[in-house]
Amino acid sequence: MSRALVIQLARLGDLIQTLPAITALAQRHGFAALDLLCAAPLAPVARWFPGIDRVIEWDGASWRRYAEQWRSGGVRSLDEARRSMDELLDPRYDVVFNLNQHPRAILVAHLAGREVVGAGETGPLSSDLPPWGRYLRGVARNRRGNRIHLADAFCGLCGVTPPAVVPRLTVPQKPVPLDLDAVGSSTGVWVAVIVGAGAPERCMPIAVWIDWITSFLDGCPTGGVVLVGSGTERERAAAIQDGLPPVCLSRIWDACGRTDLQQLVVLLARCTWVIGADTGPLHLAASVGTKVMGWYVARARVHETGPYGEGHWIWQADRNPPQTWPVRESLTLLASLEAEAASPEVDGWSLWTSRFDRWGTFYVTPGADDNAPEREEAWNACSIGFPLGKDRPVAQSF
Amino acid sequence: MSLFDDNVAMIASKQPALADAVRKGRGGVFSVEPARSGLPTARLNGRWVHSAYDPVAEAAQWAEAQIPDCQSGELIVLFGAGLLYQAEALTKLLVGDFAFLLVIPDPDELCDAATARRWGPELGRWDWASGNAEAIADRIVSFKRPIRLLSYDPAASCTGEIRRQIEQHLQRHLANQAGGRVHVALIGPIHGGSLPLARYSATALERLGHRVSFIDHSVHLSSYQSLGTLKDPRHGLAMQSKFAELLSRVTLARLAEDPPDVVLALAQAPVILPMLELLRKKQFLTAMWFVENYRHLTYWQQLAGGFEFWFVIQKDGCSDALRRAGARHVCYLPTAADPAVHRPIVLAPQETDEYGADVSFVGAGYPNRRAILPQLLGHPWTFKLWGNEWEGAHNLRSVLQRQGARIDTETCVKVFKATKVNLNLHSWNGPGLDPEGDFVNPRTFELAASGAFQLVDRRRLLGELFTDGEVCTFASEHELPAAVGRWLREPEARAAVATAARRRVLAEHTYEHRMRDLLGMLGVHRPDRVGSLLGGERQAGRLASDASTPPDLASLLAAFPPTQRVDLKDLAGCIRAKGPTAQLSRDELLVLMLDAYREETRDLV
Repeated sequence: MSRALVIQLARLGDLIQTLPAITALAQRHGFAALDLLCAAPLAPVARWFPGIDRVIEWDGASWRRYAEQWRSGGVRSLDEARRSMDELLDPRYDVVFNLNQHPRAILVAHLAGREVVGAGETGPLSSDLPPWGRYLRGVARNRRGNRIHLADAFCGLCGVTPPAVVPRLTVPQKPVPLDLDAVGSSTGVWVAVIVGAGAPERCMPIAVWIDWITSFLDGCPTGGVVLVGSGTERERAAAIQDGLPPVCLSRIWDACGRTDLQQLVVLLARCTWVIGADTGPLHLAASVGTKVMGWYVARARVHETGPYGEGHWIWQADRNPPQTWPVRESLTLLASLEAEAASPEVDGWSLWTSRFDRWGTFYVTPGADDNAPEREEAWNACSIGFPLGKDRPVAQSF
Repeated sequence: MSLFDDNVAMIASKQPALADAVRKGRGGVFSVEPARSGLPTARLNGRWVHSAYDPVAEAAQWAEAQIPDCQSGELIVLFGAGLLYQAEALTKLLVGDFAFLLVIPDPDELCDAATARRWGPELGRWDWASGNAEAIADRIVSFKRPIRLLSYDPAASCTGEIRRQIEQHLQRHLANQAGGRVHVALIGPIHGGSLPLARYSATALERLGHRVSFIDHSVHLSSYQSLGTLKDPRHGLAMQSKFAELLSRVTLARLAEDPPDVVLALAQAPVILPMLELLRKKQFLTAMWFVENYRHLTYWQQLAGGFEFWFVIQKDGCSDALRRAGARHVCYLPTAADPAVHRPIVLAPQETDEYGADVSFVGAGYPNRRAILPQLLGHPWTFKLWGNEWEGAHNLRSVLQRQGARIDTETCVKVFKATKVNLNLHSWNGPGLDPEGDFVNPRTFELAASGAFQLVDRRRLLGELFTDGEVCTFASEHELPAAVGRWLREPEARAAVATAARRRVLAEHTYEHRMRDLLGMLGVHRPDRVGSLLGGERQAGRLASDASTPPDLASLLAAFPPTQRVDLKDLAGCIRAKGPTAQLSRDELLVLMLDAYREETRDLV
């Protein structure tokens, strides 16, 4: 029986999007152990991944320190690096599935395993990319029409087709701050509003949020709004609340900076919808089964970072910054769940909805066909060496 | 055996002579009394050396603060033994391959410590060094390990002078070690008197075999000056300040592209505190050579805490002021001369006519010079005045050359050579000689290096740099005309003094000497960062023969010339050169990994 490791050292969104690949690997191969190496701050999230035996925390700060120590200790500073690597990843894995194309992840993969699948599989110094690596790089560079979801491309990198069912994270049992306990406890539509975004140019203006929340609460007599964000976004949340009519405030719960990742997941799972422009929490919400409506501007692209699974909605801005925001249209959509009723013809925006089939998740405009041949072709082109629709045969060693 | 005998036996096992001296000692350096915790504590001249409450807890706290700096393999040298609580605490906390040495300038101090309490077994790991500074320094060097100097200040107050002397010996020892190559990024000013000194320093470092990245901001001078022509002076000052900030960022970009071992800024270099804080965060070793009078230019107050090391041309008052402002290390480093620039030259007859005079002065029109130099008029000697900023000095118009234009270094050297008595009058904004005059200006060294005779106003620090037979002085402006007259009458004596001065400069006062001292000083305080480089520990041959170097890396190192310095990036480059299909060992992969993080660490922009 072989031991396997999945490497995903990127940010929260990418980690969540690794879940389908992990699920598929766990289902298709009888590994004696399937472990996951991820950035240390994200380890609490990774521990809820079904199918993972052990989460290994990668502490980049320590490695920066070892690199620094070379200046004072020279070759001797290798000792500490070697010890650290041994503590983390000894004995070596039979196979390592590496999902990151940067040199550090490729080096870790070769240090950790006898065989590497995915990025760096042709050698630690080779600049050759595997077909799925080339596909992803082409998408990132050319922004060309991409119809394979990143999470499914991760499956391809690991040599497996997407899982048959959209995988879900198990919602942790963790108490939230007492005043937030009311979230989702009454009937009605509960919406989690992600007040910020990873980059300032992707943030929705505060005035737009005020308009959106006021209109939503006006039109929805029950339920409430939870403001979600990090500690650095508290001021944004406060500014939004300052702009709301006093009558709305009794239906607003401010969770900004007051939850850890586990508590955030608990809150997102209790909501009916999660809306916002920050892709990381949107992925997190989708992974616990909450419907997502994303407003994607600047570098956020629906086909690359749309939430995984079926029934999510993404408004994609065609220009940056957007001149207008589809406030009314998104509210109509939320109320009716019918794209046609939402009159999705909004200047500067396109509306996309997610579906799921044997090739994974894909986004289409409402009413469009499922572009299955196009996606099948992409899988065919990238899955060289193993029959279409089948998983890549594993090496003799495992 | 008594407690005292048991303690002294620990010394005797390592240093019998010191043990004898302790046995014969009378003690009485410390006044020992019980602390609240019941353990003995001590005072020195009425001030507590250890905590009056709990000396053990205090020592543990002190030791903990020292740990992050100490690197395995080092010799820990402790100044300030006190009752040895600190030495014990340090030994308990330091894990790794360390050697320990206590500096004991006065055996009576140790006699008190041996009488006061029973020493812990940890002290069995310590060695002892006593005697004069040279003997102690030799003992330190004999360990052949990187040296980490630690000081327990409350107990080290009586060792201040000997410590300074020991450091000087250690610096010299480091400087004499051959082969080590340090990469210094030297940040020059946009303009001003420190600009040529920056260039001389860069050249000197290169002559010493080090690698220099000279970040020359003088190329931005015309832009900087054009900002000063804005009509509203406030706009001009604001823009010039912003421009200096921009140049600070340019410096960061240069440092990021080719990270040095040492960042050395010369006075007036465009650096701002946030830049220095970022460099500190990124573990750059920074130093400033402040070749200015700290009483006149006071911007050091804003930057004191930003540089890790300050080198200054003044002593006590200056060092104290900088330390009060937050400077961590302040070292005295006078200016010097570059003998390749300031040298005896042969003048053509027409040059002798043009530049020659009985008496000359080269310099800017500071108030004290405007007040003193007219005394040299109306005498039977010829007098020429060279330099700029003499506007309004109507009484000196007859002797002012080239209508007060700024003159270049080459012309200066010609004037020095063609003049019988070169007057060197340190600048001051008062009417006479600077009553606080301490530092020695670069002109003193330059005149001496040029083989020229000079008459210089007396300075407090001059005596330790030149003897009376090398540089002649005058103590007040009233003595000046008589002194000039006397030396003009004694050409042979002038020649002898000038020759001796040049000899002294060549032996002790070139920029090579200064840069060697500067790096030596950094090496003593940062043995892991600079000391090891100076000692050649990063050379391919040394690395390859190091027992801790894995065989596969040793074979890579064999490809480099034995004396070539090999850094992480060099080794990583060597591994990458194996090509895309190479099978790499675990250690080779680790080297590449560290190199990937090294590149990230240097992201400054």
